[in-house]
Amino acid sequence: MTLRAVPVLPEPVCVSPDTSLLDALHLMLDKGVNHIPVCDGGAWAGLVDINDILGELLPVSARGEHGLEDLRFVGDGVALIATHLKLLATKRVRDVELLDLPTLDENTPLLEAALLLHRHAAPLPVLGEDGTFKGMLSRRVLLAHLISKAGN
Amino acid sequence: MAHPAAAAEAIFGLSPLVVSLAIFVLTYAVIVTEKINRSVVALLGAGLMIFAGVLNQAEAFHGIDLNTISLLTGMMVIVAITQKSGVFQYVAVKAAKVVKADPWGLLVMLSVVTALFSALLDNVTTVLLIAPVTLLITDALRISPYPYLFSVIFASNIGGTATLIGDPPNIMIGSAAKLTFNDFLFNLTPVVALIMALTLIPVYFIWGRKLHASPEDRALVMGFNERESITDARLLKQALFVIALVIAGFVLAHSIGQEPGTIAMFGAALLLLLRVYDKQAEDQSHAIHHTFGEVEWITIFFFVGLFVVVAGIEKAGALELLAHEIVNWTGGDFTVTAYVILWVSAVLSSVVDNIPFVATMIPVIQSMGSVFTPQQIDTLWWALSLGACLGGNGTLVGASANLVVAGMAERAGQPIRFLPFMLMAFPLMLASIAVSSVYLWLRYL
Repeated sequence: MTLRAVPVLPEPVCVSPDTSLLDALHLMLDKGVNHIPVCDGGAWAGLVDINDILGELLPVSARGEHGLEDLRFVGDGVALIATHLKLLATKRVRDVELLDLPTLDENTPLLEAALLLHRHAAPLPVLGEDGTFKGMLSRRVLLAHLISKAGN
Repeated sequence: MAHPAAAAEAIFGLSPLVVSLAIFVLTYAVIVTEKINRSVVALLGAGLMIFAGVLNQAEAFHGIDLNTISLLTGMMVIVAITQKSGVFQYVAVKAAKVVKADPWGLLVMLSVVTALFSALLDNVTTVLLIAPVTLLITDALRISPYPYLFSVIFASNIGGTATLIGDPPNIMIGSAAKLTFNDFLFNLTPVVALIMALTLIPVYFIWGRKLHASPEDRALVMGFNERESITDARLLKQALFVIALVIAGFVLAHSIGQEPGTIAMFGAALLLLLRVYDKQAEDQSHAIHHTFGEVEWITIFFFVGLFVVVAGIEKAGALELLAHEIVNWTGGDFTVTAYVILWVSAVLSSVVDNIPFVATMIPVIQSMGSVFTPQQIDTLWWALSLGACLGGNGTLVGASANLVVAGMAERAGQPIRFLPFMLMAFPLMLASIAVSSVYLWLRYL
């Protein structure tokens, strides 16, 4: 059985790489989601994660490899966060490192899709035959489908 | 067990001199391209030296300076454990607060702290510890981190020149020439302190006098609580105890008849013991495995390979030939020889890795022992050390620490570009070599 059998894919919501991080954050908060797919002219461009946006509020010296191990000594750091918060409106989605995820299509076997979902901490994009973005496959959707099939 | 001496002919009946030089040049050429990891290239070159019949395995192993390898590995283990205590962050934040977060005062303090740490730790570790704090403070002060990162690079290479353990070239020179920790302290530390102070003068006129931060932003930095950086007080005490012991060991090494490699390795083992003695066997293995994993094995294996490659050309007689050529060229004039070594080391080390250069130059200087007195040879070691270590400041690729800082600056959105860096750094580096020349002249020549 392949993904073709999973009938419902969540409604695709897409932002462009030029969307500001502040707009992307508002969208996530409105929709109650942690990730938003990024599409460039209908083609899959990656996934922007709410953790990337949180990271933009931190001092760059504490992000990434070999950074500061903790920031307790800075105090509450409200002033630092406020400075970085203002910059969110000027930074674009393309400025953050988007999650590089494996892509699925209608011919992906269900077992393989389950394995890939298990290995990545995010929903995975499903692409059409021409490479256009169809929607995201989440753990919930896949598990709901499997449970309903098992019931029959 | 007796090993057969290597044949007078190498592979295919070729002269060992030609074969070994070909392998040497090929190895160094591939290292310079940076297309393949340098440790792999050095080890392949070492293997070729043996397969081509220039060296046998026993001679190759004999060429590996285990004193250097143990000193490096031991210090890496000690540093890997100590940095977890947060002590370096504590000192950097404290230094910023001592000068009331004044931008120019901060630059001076961070340079001095970097130089001091570099003198006792390896330069890459130092900048890995200092650069993130530097970026955080400049972020809070809302000023450009560029002058600070530039000064951190300079201070790390200058400070590293000061002691036996500050920079790998010094470790190699000290080990090969049997120069002690105190020899370096008496002969290099004074001039290094002077160079550090003098370097800050142009930095002030170029950037320092224009740096400005608002009182609110300075108050933010003054609000930092450096005590909160100490994450593990017990670890801090253990680490400082062992470091004090190891440095005392280095200072006394000569009088107690021990080599620095033994002292560093013993210190590492002692600190590991203090970390794990009260843990279960499984937790012990886990903690020690993790600490050993933080040793920079790329650097260690790079050294191993290089030592064998250099042993190959040394045995074939190439380095003695080069030493003769240098002495002939300088007319056997000692002063000229010292200056040639100083300036050539500086210019070459600013574009190529100073480790392979120094590994090659050590046997060259050793074989000048037939022309110059032992005191004169010692002066040549200081010239080599000053040239090779300070030369690293000349360009962005002159030392690994420079590239580490550049990588962090890039991630912070303040990239340090090759050419603009060189336009500032190369003249400053030459100035430090000029100061070294005057120092050598006044003290030894």
